[in-house]
Amino acid sequence: MSELQTARTEAANLAGDLPGVLLEARRLAAFTPGVHGRRRSGAGEAFWQFRDHRPEDGARLVDWRRSARGERLYVRERERETAQTGLFWIDRSPGMGWSSSPATPTKHHRALVLCLAFAVLLSKGGERIGALGGPAPRAGMRAADRLAPDLIAPQRSEPAEPKGKSIVIYASDFYAPVELWAQRLKAAAAVGASGALIQISDPAEEDFPFRGRTQFEQPGTVQPITFGRAEEAREAYASRLVQHRQAMREMARIYGFMLIAHRTDHSAAPALSLLTASLSERG
Amino acid sequence: MILGPLFFAAPLALAALAALPILFLILRATPPAPRREFFPPLRLLLGLRTEEESRKRAPLWLVLLRALAAALMIIGFARPSLAPQQISGAATGPLLLVIDDGWTAAPAWPQARAAAEDVLAESERAKQQVFVVLTAPARTPRDAGEALTAADARGLVSRLEPKPWRPDRTDALKRLPKKPERFARVVWISDGVDDPGAAAFAEALKQRGPVTARIPPRLARAVYSAAATAEGIEAEIRRAPGGLGQGAIAAETLEGRSLGAGEFRFPPGADSVQARVALPPEIAARAARVRIVGESSAGATRLLSAGSGRPLVGIVDAGGAQTPLLSDPYYIERAIAPFAAVRRGDIRPLVDGGMQAIVLPDASKLAPPERNALDTWIKNGGLLLRFAGPRVANAVDDLVPVKLRPGSRALGGAMGWEKPQGFAPFAAESPFAGLTPPADVTISRQVLADPSAEREARIWARLADGAPVVTAAARGKGLIVLFHVSAGPAWSNLPLSGLYVDMLRRTLQFSGRAQGAISEQPSTGPWLPSRLMDGYGALAPPGSDAKSVPADIFPDAKAGPDTPPGFYERAGSPGSTVDAASPKDTFAALALPNGIARMQLDGERTRLLTGWFLGLAALMIALDLILALALAGRLPRLPSRTQSAFGAALLALAVFYPAQPGHAQDALAKYETRLAYIRTNDAHRDRITAQGLEELSQVLRDRTSVEPGPVVGVDPARDDLSPYPILYWAAPDQPLRLSDSALANLDRYMRLGGLIFLDTRDAGRTVSPGQGPAASMLAGLDTPPLEQISGDHVLTKTFYLLKNGFAGRSGAVRIWAESSASAAARDGVASLMIGDGDWASIWAQGGEEQGLDTPATPHEMAMRFGVNLVMLSLTGNYKSDQVHVPALLERLGRRSEARP
Repeated sequence: MSELQTARTEAANLAGDLPGVLLEARRLAAFTPGVHGRRRSGAGEAFWQFRDHRPEDGARLVDWRRSARGERLYVRERERETAQTGLFWIDRSPGMGWSSSPATPTKHHRALVLCLAFAVLLSKGGERIGALGGPAPRAGMRAADRLAPDLIAPQRSEPAEPKGKSIVIYASDFYAPVELWAQRLKAAAAVGASGALIQISDPAEEDFPFRGRTQFEQPGTVQPITFGRAEEAREAYASRLVQHRQAMREMARIYGFMLIAHRTDHSAAPALSLLTASLSERG
Repeated sequence: MILGPLFFAAPLALAALAALPILFLILRATPPAPRREFFPPLRLLLGLRTEEESRKRAPLWLVLLRALAAALMIIGFARPSLAPQQISGAATGPLLLVIDDGWTAAPAWPQARAAAEDVLAESERAKQQVFVVLTAPARTPRDAGEALTAADARGLVSRLEPKPWRPDRTDALKRLPKKPERFARVVWISDGVDDPGAAAFAEALKQRGPVTARIPPRLARAVYSAAATAEGIEAEIRRAPGGLGQGAIAAETLEGRSLGAGEFRFPPGADSVQARVALPPEIAARAARVRIVGESSAGATRLLSAGSGRPLVGIVDAGGAQTPLLSDPYYIERAIAPFAAVRRGDIRPLVDGGMQAIVLPDASKLAPPERNALDTWIKNGGLLLRFAGPRVANAVDDLVPVKLRPGSRALGGAMGWEKPQGFAPFAAESPFAGLTPPADVTISRQVLADPSAEREARIWARLADGAPVVTAAARGKGLIVLFHVSAGPAWSNLPLSGLYVDMLRRTLQFSGRAQGAISEQPSTGPWLPSRLMDGYGALAPPGSDAKSVPADIFPDAKAGPDTPPGFYERAGSPGSTVDAASPKDTFAALALPNGIARMQLDGERTRLLTGWFLGLAALMIALDLILALALAGRLPRLPSRTQSAFGAALLALAVFYPAQPGHAQDALAKYETRLAYIRTNDAHRDRITAQGLEELSQVLRDRTSVEPGPVVGVDPARDDLSPYPILYWAAPDQPLRLSDSALANLDRYMRLGGLIFLDTRDAGRTVSPGQGPAASMLAGLDTPPLEQISGDHVLTKTFYLLKNGFAGRSGAVRIWAESSASAAARDGVASLMIGDGDWASIWAQGGEEQGLDTPATPHEMAMRFGVNLVMLSLTGNYKSDQVHVPALLERLGRRSEARP
C-alpha cells in the first residue's frame, strides 16, 4: 500500500469519527468564554448604536429616520469588524497517530479536537477559518464543520507557508529539530502571521516508564535503539526532553508564536483556555 | 535398566543427559529477547547508552532452572517406573497364569484383573508365551489351553468376569496344560479361599515352575442361609478366618429396592454369625434376597424363594367375571397379597398345586369330584376360607363349619326395623383378640348359622346383637373358616376397612400348620430358571443358553455351570432357588505349601512415573515462561496491592475452578433437548458417536422443529440421565460389564420412560439380542422382553415414511424393540431398542446436499432413520395411528363407492 493510500485510509477512519470529534470540540468550546469582545464602533455591517450628531460628521451621516422622531440629530454607528483569518495545521506523521495505552486518545485525535474547538470559537467571533495550505478560509457557523475534513485530508507532511497576515495554529509533538521549525516560523512571521504551537505529548513520552531490556523503534526513521535496562536511560532522556522543549519555546517566542504544552492524559479544556487567552490578547 | 528404586523402560533416552552441559552453555549465552516499544521521540534517545546494554547473558539461576527442566524431560522420556521387587523374574520362557474366577474373587475383582494385567504387561515386554488357566468350571472351556501371546491374553483377561460359583481346583488340575513341562514363572491370581482340591493343585503348580500366589487383602464373606421369620429376616454370615469382622446386611425386593438393613459383628475368634434385619412380617415377606452391603459377589447374596415365610394361597376364581375389579376374588387378593403368595384358578389345579390355603368366595354346592378333592385336602391339613354370598344363601354343601339357615338376613333394609350392625368386641379366645373393630364397619346382610348347630363350631366373631359372623371348625388335620358375609362390599363395608386385612392375616396364620397340606404327589417337571445371578450377585433374566434343571437333581443342586444360582420355578410348585454359597462348602483361608511366594493382590503395582516427570518439567517450563516475561519487563505492571490481590484471585480461581465446572450452565442445559450418548471404555468410538449425533442434531435443526443443544456424553454411573430423551449407546470394541450404580441408573432411566438405543455395530452378524456385544453390555440390566420390529412399527412413521425398512451399514439391518406387551405400562412405548446398523458412524461421515428428485443415498437414509428415532423418543406412540391409515383409507374408499 502506498503512503498516499495509507494516509487516505487513515483519513477515512478519522472522518468516520468526525461527528464525534466535532461534537467533542463544540462541547469544549461551549465551556470556554468567547474571545471576540471587540465591542467598539467601527466599519462593519451590524448596528452598534445611535449617537448625537457632531458638527464634523457632516450631513451625510445623519440618520434621518431616527432624527425625525425628535428634536436632535442622530448618527447611526456600526460595530467595528476586524475579520481575521485563522489557519490550522496538524502534523500527520506516524508518531502522532500513537498512544501508549488504550485509555488515552492518540495525539492526533487530541490535536484535532483542540483545533476544531478553537475553530468553533473563532467562527463564533466572525473570523474566517481554514486549513493551512487548504481551500480558501470561510466564515460562518458551518465553517468549522467544513474545516474538519480539510484538516484530516492527506496533506504534505510539511506545513505550507501562510499567504498573508493571519493567525496560524500548528499542532504537533514538535520532536523535529528546532532548526527546522525555526525556518518555518521565520517564513510565516515574514508574511505577518503569528499564532500558537500546540505541543501535544503522550504520557509515556513525558514519564518514560520503560523498564528492562527494551528495543525502541519508530518506522521509517532511524535505526531501532536497544537498552539493556531502559530505566537507566530515564534521567538522561528527561533532561534532553526539557532542553528540547526549552529551545523550541524560545525560538517560537522570537517569531511571535506562543508554545502551549498539552498531555493527552490531561483534560483538553485548560489548553483551549490558554490558547484563547493568549490569542485574544492580541485583539 | 534399574537405577536405585527406578526402573527405566527406555534407558537409551538417558544418553541425552550427556548433552545437558552443551545445552547449559547455549542457554547461558542466549540473552532474553528484548521487548519492542514504539516510541515517537526516538531522536531524543540517539546516543544514549545504559550501563547494562552490554549484558548478553541470562542470569545463572534461570539457566539452571531450564537445564533442570530439560533433565526432567529426558528422564521422563526414559519411561521410569518404581521398580517392584518381582520384576526381575521375567526371564524368557512361557508364563502360566492361573486365575481363580469364582464368586469368591468377585469382591476384589478389579484388583485381581489389574494384577493379571500387570503380569501380562511384564511378559509382553519380555515377549513371553502365556498359558492361562481359569479355575472356575464352565460348560465350554474359556481358557484356550494353548500358548497365547501376551496381547491376546490381555484381551482375554480384560473380558473376564467372575462366575457365580466356586472355583473347582480338582477340575482345574486336569486342565493344566501338559506342555511345556516347566514354566519360567507361574502366577496364581487367587481368591485366597481353600477348597478340597487346593492343596493338590498348589503342589502341581509348584512342580511346574516358581509360583507366586497373589492373595486379596480381604477374603470374601458369604451369606450361608437366610429365612423370613416373625421378627424379620435372619441370615447366617460366614467368613474365612481373618476376613473383615463387621458389616451390614440388607434385605431387598426382586427389583432391588432396599427394605431394611441390619448390622453384624463377628465375635472374636468366630467365623460365623447370625444377623437380622428387623422387619414386619408382611414386609419381610416381600424380600427376595439378602446381601452383604458393600460386597458384591454371588456368595454374599442369598436368594429368598417366593414361598419362604409367605403362605401359598389359592383363590378359587373361575375367571370370566364381567367386572374383574369389582369381583370378590379381587378384593381378597388385594387384601392378602402383601403377606401371601397368591395363585388363582379352579379348585382342582389349586389342590394339586400344593396350596397351603384355599379361599373360596361365594359358591353354592360344589361338584362331587371337586368337593371330594377339597375335602381330602382339608383333612390333610389344608385351610379352607369361605365367604358367603347370594349363592351360599341359596344352597350350600357340607364344607362349612356350621349348619346354615337357608336365605340371608337383611339388616337395615327399607322394609325392616333393624339397623345395619357393627361387630361386637372380639372374645379373648378368638384369634382376632386384640383387634378393635372400628365403629363404622357395619354389616347389612349376612347368612345365619342354625342356632341349634352353633355349638358345633367355634365362633371367632359376632355381630353386636350376638349373631355369629365368622365361624370355624376343624376337619381332620385341617380347618374350615367361614365369613358369613360376602368377600366384596355387596353385603358389608368390611372389605373396605383395614380390619378385613387384619382378620384375613390372622386367619391365614393357620395355613400350612400341617405340612400335609402340600399335595402328596409332587409335580415332576423340570425347573426353569427365571432370574439368574452373575458373579457379582446381580440378577438378570436368563440368557438364551440357560437350560432347565431336571427335578431329580434339583434338590441337591450346587451352584455350577449346569445349575447356575438364581430363581427357578416350575408349574405346580412354589418357586425355589439355587444359591451360590452352599452349606456343604468349606470356607477357610487357602493354605499354601512351602515354596510358593505369597503376595498381596494390590501390593506391588508397577507405578509409571513418566507422567510425573514430564508434568513437573512442563510446570517448570511454564514457570520459566513467566520468569522470562518478567525479566523482559512484559508482565503487566500493577500497583503492588492490586498485584497481590490479582495473584490471590488467580490462585483462588485455580483452586476452585475444577470444583464447580459451570453449574449454572448445567442447570440451564437441563431445559434444553439434547442428544446424549453413553460413554464407553473406547474413546475413539465415543468420538465417532459424538460426531455422528452432532451431525444428526444439525439435520434435526435444519429439517424439523426439534432444536437439540450440543451433544453430551454421559456416564451412567454418575450422571443424572433424566434430562435426555434418548441415550445412544454404541458398542465399544471390547464391551465391559457396567457397574452396579450404572445398572441401577439405567434401569431407573428406562422406568422413567427414557429410550436407550443400543447399537451393536456388528451389521447382521447378531443372531439375537441375547448374544454378541449386546449380551455383555446389557448384563445385569433389567432387560425387558424384546421383539424384532418390522415395517409397520411406529418407527417407520414418526417423521419420514420409511417404506423400505431401515438402512444401516449393511443392507439388511435388524432392530429389536421392547415388546409392546411388556411396555404396556408406558402405553406401548419401548424403553430399549437394539439395532446393528452402526448408524453413528454413517452420520459422522457427513453427506453432500442433494436435490429432491435424486434417489436417496445410504447416508440420507441413515439420517432419516436417525430423525425418526429421535422423533420416536420425543413423541412416543403419537404416530401409531398411522399404522391404521391404509385400512382407514380403504374403508373410506369403500364407503364412497357404495354411496353413489
